[in-house]
Amino acid sequence: MAKLLKANKRKRGRQMVTIIDRTLTTFNTSGMTGQDLNHFCDLLFTCGVNKIELTPDLVNRLNFPLTAAGLKQWLGERRFFLTRILPESLASAGPGTKEPKALWKLEPNELVEKNIPVGKLHSCHHQKIRITGLEDLMTRDYSEVFKALLDSGIDTLDLCPGNHHHCATAIALEWLSAGGQSISCGFANHHHFPPLEEVLMGLKLSQPDLFTGDLSVLSELRDLYEKLSGQPVGKMKAIIGTDIFKVESGIHVDGVLKNPNTYEPFSPQSVGNQREIVLGKHSGRQSLLYKLNDSQLSESAAHSILKHIKFRCTQLGRNLSDRELRTLAREVQNDKQIYC
Amino acid sequence: MTNRYIVDTTLRDGEQSPGIAFSIREKITIAKTLDTLGVARIEAGTPAMGREECRAFEKIKLTCQQAKIIGWNRMNRSDISQSIGCGADIIHVCVPASDLLIREKLRTTRSQVLKTLSACAAAIHAEKRELTIGLEDASRADWDFVVLLIETAQQLGATTLRFSDTVGIMSPSLCKATISRIPDNIDIEVHMHNDLGMAVANSIQGLRCGAKYVDTTLFGIGERAGNCNLEHLLIATQGQLDFGINLDELQWHQADLKPIIYKNNPGRMPDRISAH
Repeated sequence: MAKLLKANKRKRGRQMVTIIDRTLTTFNTSGMTGQDLNHFCDLLFTCGVNKIELTPDLVNRLNFPLTAAGLKQWLGERRFFLTRILPESLASAGPGTKEPKALWKLEPNELVEKNIPVGKLHSCHHQKIRITGLEDLMTRDYSEVFKALLDSGIDTLDLCPGNHHHCATAIALEWLSAGGQSISCGFANHHHFPPLEEVLMGLKLSQPDLFTGDLSVLSELRDLYEKLSGQPVGKMKAIIGTDIFKVESGIHVDGVLKNPNTYEPFSPQSVGNQREIVLGKHSGRQSLLYKLNDSQLSESAAHSILKHIKFRCTQLGRNLSDRELRTLAREVQNDKQIYC
Repeated sequence: MTNRYIVDTTLRDGEQSPGIAFSIREKITIAKTLDTLGVARIEAGTPAMGREECRAFEKIKLTCQQAKIIGWNRMNRSDISQSIGCGADIIHVCVPASDLLIREKLRTTRSQVLKTLSACAAAIHAEKRELTIGLEDASRADWDFVVLLIETAQQLGATTLRFSDTVGIMSPSLCKATISRIPDNIDIEVHMHNDLGMAVANSIQGLRCGAKYVDTTLFGIGERAGNCNLEHLLIATQGQLDFGINLDELQWHQADLKPIIYKNNPGRMPDRISAH
């Protein structure tokens, strides 16, 4: 398996790709403060996004100094990309110098969106194209489609596959793996764009030496996204769900306590989350000892408490809180003392 | 259209999702619905969990008319006895395949794994039950050992080999390359997790490369970010693969099952944006 992964890496080569985030273009931005907007963009850049797509309205809210001095006319109705630049003079400062804060700049978004069959691409006269759609690519010979796209002679080719078939992340990552240079995403499956956080983690795991983003800000980004969009993110959402590092089943708790790598594909901290052992219907003795922090608990007491936990959790359809556990453990042990 | 088959593990791997717990009655309702929909195999639980689980298992076995009922087991004779005692049609044995799990979790060796597996298979055949073998964490396992396990599974008379991407790290191209390498003299089943959001895509690639069975759960529930979501798989493969399950009927029944599955966990309901 490791050999296959290495072969894929070799095939992919060592190339930087462009990750575009489109989340903000579909927001209702009327109630958004400039501070939140700046913070959102800052977090997107930190986690590895190269370009943030913006509407003219959002550009105005970013308070670029030139905006007030006549940039408005230049902006018109076009869309823009916000990118980061590191001033060379600051970047080349000597050792020990504090890392310079990156500056932001605007560039026009000249990508023309096309949702057309791949075979008709030759008729496109535009040299900067964003291909949308392609939802059903996973059930077709997608490598042939990618080859046709890459051989089309188009200068800049960005892919923004739709996620209605729940395969957009896979399509995005396979596109980059095949040699594609640019992919457009949206945070948390926003607007059925490829989920940004999944694409970034996929890149981080497949190209750890090339990926420079810091995904530990993803939890903060999720919270801000929920505030700005008014839409809660699913608790089991891949990468950013708040509950994805909760562990209940006895088999998994046993493994994770021995070595977290056994059942975690990446560490909770790497995405700004925390592991939590919870008690429920599938808990085993190890979980109970861990939660009660009581290695002296007898076999029969543990068995009895677990039986009650399983019964209560099945009734309630949820895990027990630490407080409920302590109460239950106390009650069961008292009962044992009375009746034994 | 190519025929493929669903192995639903809502009642086993799905229920392992923290906070989700079904009563006996709820398990029977879910199993009955899956059976009516045309699911080929239902992994109804882990009988070794105790008396309640066994009771649920026995009732599910009596209720389901079409589906074969699978009992899931660790590589452990006592677990297997429980599954046999509950009347499971198929006894599934989960075998840790990666050195990480063998060394860190089981604290044993590859040769010991092979020995124990052989003993388990003998116990299952003695009771004349169908044996299927699952390679846990196969996506992170050494390929030479995977090959050895596949050969062993064939020699031990397993009818199906489950290839598990236990921590959901595979990509579609890796799935294609891997599943295509498995010899075709054993039925292949793919079991994909959604940690990188690619469970559906990886399952499709597994099926396109020869897997006969695919593991799914209702609403994609399961450990961490969940398993391959049955509804999403049907949407993505419409007109391409036939699982003998009608998408409209599934969606209709899922609406009824949603309050059972999520009970006190509305935050986990998939109608929230970006739930898996």
